[in-house]
Amino acid sequence: MEKFAQELAGKVALVTGGTKGIGKAIADRLLQAGAQVIVTARSHPGQEKLKHHFIAADLTIASETVKIVGEISKQFGAVDILVNNMGGSTSPSGGFGALSDQDWENDLQLNLQSSVRIDRAILPHMVEKKSGVIVHISSLTGVLPVYESLGAYAVAKAALNNYSKSLSKEFSPKGIRIAAVSPGMVKTDTMDSYLQSLSDTSGLSVEEVTQNLISSLGGIPMGRMANPEEIAELVGFLVSPRASYITGVNYIIDGGTNPSL
Amino acid sequence: MKKTEKELEGKIALVTGGTKGIGKAIADELANLGATVIVSARSLHDGNQENQFIAADLSRSEDIKQLANKILEQYGTLDILINNVGGTSAPAGGFSVLSDEDWEKDLQLNLLAAIKLDKALVPSMIERNTGVVIHISSLNGKLPLYASNFSYGVTKAALNNYSKALANEVASKGVRVITVSPGMVRTTAMETFLNSYGASIGKNLEETAQLVMDSLGGVPMKRLAQPEEIANLIGFLVSPKASYITGTNYVIDGGTIPTTI
Repeated sequence: MEKFAQELAGKVALVTGGTKGIGKAIADRLLQAGAQVIVTARSHPGQEKLKHHFIAADLTIASETVKIVGEISKQFGAVDILVNNMGGSTSPSGGFGALSDQDWENDLQLNLQSSVRIDRAILPHMVEKKSGVIVHISSLTGVLPVYESLGAYAVAKAALNNYSKSLSKEFSPKGIRIAAVSPGMVKTDTMDSYLQSLSDTSGLSVEEVTQNLISSLGGIPMGRMANPEEIAELVGFLVSPRASYITGVNYIIDGGTNPSL
Repeated sequence: MKKTEKELEGKIALVTGGTKGIGKAIADELANLGATVIVSARSLHDGNQENQFIAADLSRSEDIKQLANKILEQYGTLDILINNVGGTSAPAGGFSVLSDEDWEKDLQLNLLAAIKLDKALVPSMIERNTGVVIHISSLNGKLPLYASNFSYGVTKAALNNYSKALANEVASKGVRVITVSPGMVRTTAMETFLNSYGASIGKNLEETAQLVMDSLGGVPMKRLAQPEEIANLIGFLVSPKASYITGTNYVIDGGTIPTTI
């Protein structure tokens, strides 16, 4: 059901972590709307033929960010739409005591500093054109902290939310819109393998650990996880001209999971 | 922005207060997307004859019942309910100038009218296991003011809380419930307010708008919203594209709210 068929025609879009999961769904959605889409990831997803322009980059390394942004501006010109989708956690579960300094630093690199660096490299071009949209893919855990697992991830996402708001205050007057999107549980391959690993370590079935995880969030009123495409539709709307007054927000998309206002 | 398909074709939508301002823009957008749109207001204004009009004063319980009955008799059901009616008749001047009656009137208009209308119409949605309810709130519900709009903000905060609770209850029954909180919107009513307030302090409309924006701590986007920008967000939220969105409060304020949200 593609209604606003080519509303991103002529736009250059960059989606970090865009070869799988939510990032891939977003890249597909932006392509469908007519944008020229560049995706980054550490490695090419293998034999699968990509519809997007792929650039290999580990954005936790500062020099790679500078390199790919240079490459992109040479080949495609200025980026109009930046979706900071990469993120995640390499930390073990087990609560506060299980997290080392290195775990905290890794999660901060993945979820906060990688975005800061790529924004820093791309924002000047947007300022020059007095237009552009940046979306930070955050997480519900940024406003709904959990502790058994994803503790450091959640803290880093909360920092990303704060950073995104701050950035919007500075750059909205210059014609750039900046929004955060906080998905709840999304059924991606990564989620599946995360649930599998929880199952392996706990001896419980995947169904049981899924239910436990949902219960630890207080339940999902809608009774299911999101599909990546549902997140992509929201992002597709936010980067479009239809969202012209939306900046500085954090839009939660969680099937009602967040228990508070 | 070519529209190739009518994604709300066959849907029945009610927009309360739908003859002017944000409500009219929403009604027009939903009609654009293919919905059959019914609008209610106390009296008919010019230029809205394309939508079916039902006269109703939503500060009166009797009118709310009649409005719901008319819709259910004529269409058998409702797919999309936009609780847009709201406002304040309370004077400016802070806490002590607000009478019991001022509080009661604002509660009736901004909270109880929506509750009563939902009560009459949501059961038909639950019966069919599908439907979307939107509550048009206000940034004031999260960003309290006191010199003016004091009771208005309080009653909108109550609406936010109510909307979340309702979303929790009906999410498993196929009904999505969402709050949208606009910042300052350039409606005719807003212009009338700015003109009359401006006249009292010897300033023109633009100067007065700037003054009011400053009193909110500044609007990073440096302008008011157009009603159509609010309507675009509603058009997305009621569509099947927003299928995982419920229980949220989406702020649309050009970055006005100073805190992370």
